[in-house]
Amino acid sequence: MRFVALAAAGLWLSAPLAASALMAPATPAPACAAQDADLPAELKGWTAKVPLVAATGAEGLAKAALTPGQAYLSTLSATPSVTYLAQPEKPGGSVSHGGLFSLTVPTAGTFVVALGTAAWIDLLKDGAPVVSASHGRGPTCSTLRKIVAFDLQPGRYVVQISANGPAELPIMVAQRP
Amino acid sequence: MNDVLARWSRRLALVAGLCALAATAAAFAPIVAPGFDWRLPPGVTPPPVPADNPMSEAKVALGRRLFYDADLSIDGTMACATCHEQRHAFTDSNATHAGVHGDPGRRNIMALANVGYFRSLTWGDPRIVRLEDQALVPIAGEHPVEMGFAKQEQVLTARLAASACYQRLFVEAFPETHGEVSMATIGKALGAFQRTLLSFDAPYDARWRGEAVATSPAALAGERLFASQGCASCHAGPLFTDAAGGAPKRAFHRIDLPFSGDQGLGEITGREGDRARFRTPSLRNVALTAPYLHDGSAKTLAQAIRRHQAASAISEADVVDLVAFLDTLTDRRFVTNPRLALPPTVCQAG
Repeated sequence: MRFVALAAAGLWLSAPLAASALMAPATPAPACAAQDADLPAELKGWTAKVPLVAATGAEGLAKAALTPGQAYLSTLSATPSVTYLAQPEKPGGSVSHGGLFSLTVPTAGTFVVALGTAAWIDLLKDGAPVVSASHGRGPTCSTLRKIVAFDLQPGRYVVQISANGPAELPIMVAQRP
Repeated sequence: MNDVLARWSRRLALVAGLCALAATAAAFAPIVAPGFDWRLPPGVTPPPVPADNPMSEAKVALGRRLFYDADLSIDGTMACATCHEQRHAFTDSNATHAGVHGDPGRRNIMALANVGYFRSLTWGDPRIVRLEDQALVPIAGEHPVEMGFAKQEQVLTARLAASACYQRLFVEAFPETHGEVSMATIGKALGAFQRTLLSFDAPYDARWRGEAVATSPAALAGERLFASQGCASCHAGPLFTDAAGGAPKRAFHRIDLPFSGDQGLGEITGREGDRARFRTPSLRNVALTAPYLHDGSAKTLAQAIRRHQAASAISEADVVDLVAFLDTLTDRRFVTNPRLALPPTVCQAG
């Protein structure tokens, strides 16, 4: 319950090691007049998603590029058909879905990876996981389920998604102001 | 000379404590683990093992696979390890954890260090005394739904049985049933693995073994406070909980008032006096297991200490000292032991 209050207030729990799976509220969510009406500034584009097919291995990464500031309704693949560049910290089961995306960070700063589900996120730089700076839920009355922040330097990264239930995954990367 | 005697006295006390626990536990479950290498420090008694689930390396290996396999949830998104993360001493860093369908978690995830010694295994239900039974609660339970297999257990067993990898592992683990894949064997394998989650290598243990360990004055003062303030009456013995010996219900206590709506033990017994009684958590690795208490409502150890009525009169400096002492219970080898970690290769079902 305290977790929900913090998240709703836009506060962040410290998570020095984990891009941890996010928790559902311990109390029933309040009735919402509208969804996604009050999003964080950097995620205002969350409601304007374009389709994107996730890669199933390194060879498809060029076509599965996430552009910061653009939201996507991505299509993942069955987990057994995905070849991850590094073993996910939380691998999905055979009936789950996963995939890979490339990400180019143009300027140094704090970037968030936002999801519409509680799938696991591994952000890789040169094949090694990047430690997240914080994690939290999206705001109350939003379809943002999970937001993980990373302090990043310019360069090329790979976003690995594992343990997603359905094949569809809303995803967005954005730089915090 | 006095130092030598003191070291031997401490060592004997630790051994005697664990032997007593094992003897108590033996009353409900004989020790059946001939030839199994527990990899325990000298003198530490292994946990009791049920007669119908003897330990074997093959069973532990299968249990470890299952523990980390998200196919143990209906949609493949949640493994046991999703909530029981090794780096957090096999709990996680959230107050509660939602199930696969979004059902809110009821209580904070319990850490698993030395869980094989415990006679009561949950925050509020003293009836669950076997790891084999407890393992199936999150998989197929409904209060709350966690991994989502309630009334669909056959989906899980069929999923695992369809995997050539798991077929082999079940045959190796359960040759007496020719590798039967059932909820019973799944529970037994998970129970066997969890009995290997042994944590006796914290700086506190090294001191008790007589090794030279740098210990801060604050930690030493905290250790004295821990004894003098009665903390050890519930966080008792070498396991720092009273959940390992005696009748399971004796390990349930109410630490503060007023309490929230969760009735804890009272929910099971219906007795007024059992309202808001919860099982004493072990304090081993407690510095890694925040947030604290049955509902995860204490974000720090200092907050958790303050929530105990018995600690209401101690000073802020005393709390700092207690926290320093509790930090000496952190077993870094336990939380990085590769034998307990996510297996590096996939045993994919299907």
